[in-house]
Amino acid sequence: MANTQTTVPLFVANQVLTAAQQNASAGTGVPVFSTSVTRDAAFGGSNKALAEGQLCYLESTNVVQYYDGAAWATVGPTTASALVLVKTQTIGTSVTSVAVTDAFSATYDNYFITINGGVGSTDINLSTILTGSTANYYQGRFANTYSTANVSGGADNNGSSWSGTGTANSSTIFFSMTINQPFLAKYTFASATYYNTTAAILSLNEHRVNTSYTGFTIGTNGMGSLTGGTIRVYGYAIS
Amino acid sequence: MTYKIQIDDLVRDATDEETATIDAQKAVFATQAKAEADKAKAKAALLDKLGITADEAALLLG
Repeated sequence: MANTQTTVPLFVANQVLTAAQQNASAGTGVPVFSTSVTRDAAFGGSNKALAEGQLCYLESTNVVQYYDGAAWATVGPTTASALVLVKTQTIGTSVTSVAVTDAFSATYDNYFITINGGVGSTDINLSTILTGSTANYYQGRFANTYSTANVSGGADNNGSSWSGTGTANSSTIFFSMTINQPFLAKYTFASATYYNTTAAILSLNEHRVNTSYTGFTIGTNGMGSLTGGTIRVYGYAIS
Repeated sequence: MTYKIQIDDLVRDATDEETATIDAQKAVFATQAKAEADKAKAKAALLDKLGITADEAALLLG
């Protein structure tokens, strides 16, 4: 029997509250479940008989869903074409490198990484590695010099890191990277934009290893240290 | 120099091995940066000698 409501009860004094009425009340609100699996089990699994319009909330994905008579559909917030904050990491004081663990998973294929705020101890060039790998990094860098508009280039050819992925100075940290499929056991590739005192820079990056990675490390190439600032990792929703 | 390594919220001193790796990266990066700066300087000097801009040079070379 579906949990469709046929009436909206109006209780009067001294009326008996029946089990059926209580069950209807408990089963037709907006119950909260940890995942879609626990939700389906709670509603009777394959034997479930739900009214169209039944609502639920899933903690795992932070969405409200409704039952359309055949399947669950998401009311909102929609995750389609959205960036979802996966991890936030505050940078410590005078650190030479920052490793962010558990940033990449099967939930997303592509990620956007930013740093906001913070400072460098001096003018610093920031490198990036996929944590655990210190070889097979390839990079093409293009710097457009403000004063001359001349474009100059640089490269890593099977280097130990992507050597140019950001900068830091006494005012701020420049780090903005889109990184593709780091968790898949495929080549990882990424693009980063950043700036120094004389130029705007684009770096295009490839890591030529068919391995899955869950984290990354941003380093200062031994040029100085970073203090403060917030690293945020966003996942591009798959849907 | 003592380097500090941060892993998530944990900050510690670099091990000897990590220090050696960072020093090696530092040397590689310094060499790389100098080579790129020299190359850019040479390019700018050549354009200046020819009295043309980079865009004009690109047009001349087709």
